[in-house]
Amino acid sequence: MTHIDPQLHRVLDGELPSDDLTPSQREQFAALQRAARLLADAPAASVAARVMTEVRRPRQSLGQRFAQWLTERHTVTIAVRPVWSLALAAALGAIAVIPARGPGPVLGEQEGIAQFVGRFPGAKSVEVVGSFTDWRPGAVVLRDDDHDGIWRASVVLPVGEHEYMFVVDGERWITDPLAGRYVDDGFGRQNALIFVRPLAR
Amino acid sequence: MIGAGVLSATDREPTDGEVVAQVLAGDAEAFGVVIRRYEAGLLRYATRMLGHPDAAADAVAEGLVRAYRHLATCRDPSRLKSWLYRIVGNRCRSHLARRSTSDLSLDDAPPIADPQDSEAATERAEQLAQVERALETLSPEKREAFLLKHVEGMSYEEMAQVTGERIPTLKMRVHRARAALLEALKEYE
Amino acid sequence: MTAGRLVACLLAAASPLVAQGSFARLAGRVPAPALRAIDSILVAARREGLPTEPLIEKAFEGGAKGVAPDKIVLAVGTSADQLRSARALLREAGETQPTDPAEVTAVAAALSRGLSPELVGQLTAVLPGEPTGPALHAVADLVGHRFAEDSSVDLIVAAAQAGLRGLRFLDVAAAAVQDLQRGQSHAAALAHVHSLLPNVPPPPRPAPAAVSRARRLQPGSERP
Repeated sequence: MTHIDPQLHRVLDGELPSDDLTPSQREQFAALQRAARLLADAPAASVAARVMTEVRRPRQSLGQRFAQWLTERHTVTIAVRPVWSLALAAALGAIAVIPARGPGPVLGEQEGIAQFVGRFPGAKSVEVVGSFTDWRPGAVVLRDDDHDGIWRASVVLPVGEHEYMFVVDGERWITDPLAGRYVDDGFGRQNALIFVRPLAR
Repeated sequence: MIGAGVLSATDREPTDGEVVAQVLAGDAEAFGVVIRRYEAGLLRYATRMLGHPDAAADAVAEGLVRAYRHLATCRDPSRLKSWLYRIVGNRCRSHLARRSTSDLSLDDAPPIADPQDSEAATERAEQLAQVERALETLSPEKREAFLLKHVEGMSYEEMAQVTGERIPTLKMRVHRARAALLEALKEYE
Repeated sequence: MTAGRLVACLLAAASPLVAQGSFARLAGRVPAPALRAIDSILVAARREGLPTEPLIEKAFEGGAKGVAPDKIVLAVGTSADQLRSARALLREAGETQPTDPAEVTAVAAALSRGLSPELVGQLTAVLPGEPTGPALHAVADLVGHRFAEDSSVDLIVAAAQAGLRGLRFLDVAAAAVQDLQRGQSHAAALAHVHSLLPNVPPPPRPAPAAVSRARRLQPGSERP
């Protein structure tokens, strides 16, 4: 590993002048300065127009924003949320969706609900495969009934910790990009991790 | 022109505090001054953190929109710069955390130099590519520390505001980043 | 012994197939060349009193993902090592009989998320006799969002001292992460959540539509 003398660090930190550096220290100093100058080249792109479009957009109500999310293909605002942290997504859903008092499943004390949501426009099939399916495909199939590219499923799962991945079109294994919590799978990829909470009735 | 209405009576550039006050008073267009002032540095920082200009543009745009929407929570408008870098830094970390293996890496990115450019520009582009590859070998923490110190020119106090880390921790990180970068650059000599 | 040599030895070994039940579960789900080697690992794990279900799951996972047999064997072996390390940590923390497989598995998962053994030891010492999985994952969530390890542990320890337990630790971590995402500094987020303890907001309940739509898994796909 390259060693940098503490004196050079102090020069680079602006605490000492560079006059008394040895030749090898000067070489290191120059290499780092050169790297910094190259990295300081600013990219030509600008995001001003994009940001100001959002700034100028009148703020909608929560219900209006949820309705807009359902219809806009380019808007990815909701992803997998474990049942304990649905947060805004659940709040939006509670406001905009007529509460269904239909029977639904009867849950045991040590069971809860996990909602899987992912954006896969153009996919023919999307499923979730994970520890709760014994890593067996075909058990949790997501649906995109309105063909907007957003696939969903709600599943009754035991309370606790579960690992999973999405499988798109039967062959592409994809780590849920918005799960927020990951663990190495030991095969060079990452599994998403969710915690299911009991849904006391 | 974005932000044209924000100049004060003496036509000097308004301070960050004045711009923030103007935006919070309802002048959304004044946020354009913030974008104009900090966009280039934020894009540079995000591009070097993420190694991909498109992802960087997303992170900066998302960060600036979030900053606009939560501007009232910026407790000290005179430290607007470090507040913005913190928000964009968080977006970069979120992008890094969810990056899949299929994401474009610098190796696959289109060449920076235009074939019409001079030989000097081409050589510079190649040198930059080498430095970018070396930077990518650093951990995100060391990469960030080097960028904030040596590219964004921040003091350790400013870096502490951006990262939430203590100054001794940041100094150690910067020192290690320098050594790691020099080591990685040796590979390309 | 290098990992490669270990894999080669296990693949070549003709170990007696004592755990016929495990073998039957693995057959058809895991590539045949890996079966005997994985079974050897399971036999050794069972003899040491380690939980074997996570190892079987790891083998299933490798088979489902189409991973090469030697890499599946390597991953199962690595998982077994993680379980051994987890149990050793629990013993060092004062757990004289850490036989709860769920606890050993939870600690192994936390180690695989990058938490240091020292940190794991600190948390298990603060929560003696209690499941530490949610506390460890809460700390891992915080560290994953760039909170310092020691500050993250301090917050969860404070939450425990305030009477919070189990999945509530995850709410504590979530509250700090939400503050961060609103633009607060790490220090301010931690201070704010400290001030809320023990009344950190719980998560909202799932929307009624999500509950009524929820399906149970297809028969035969659940864990035995």
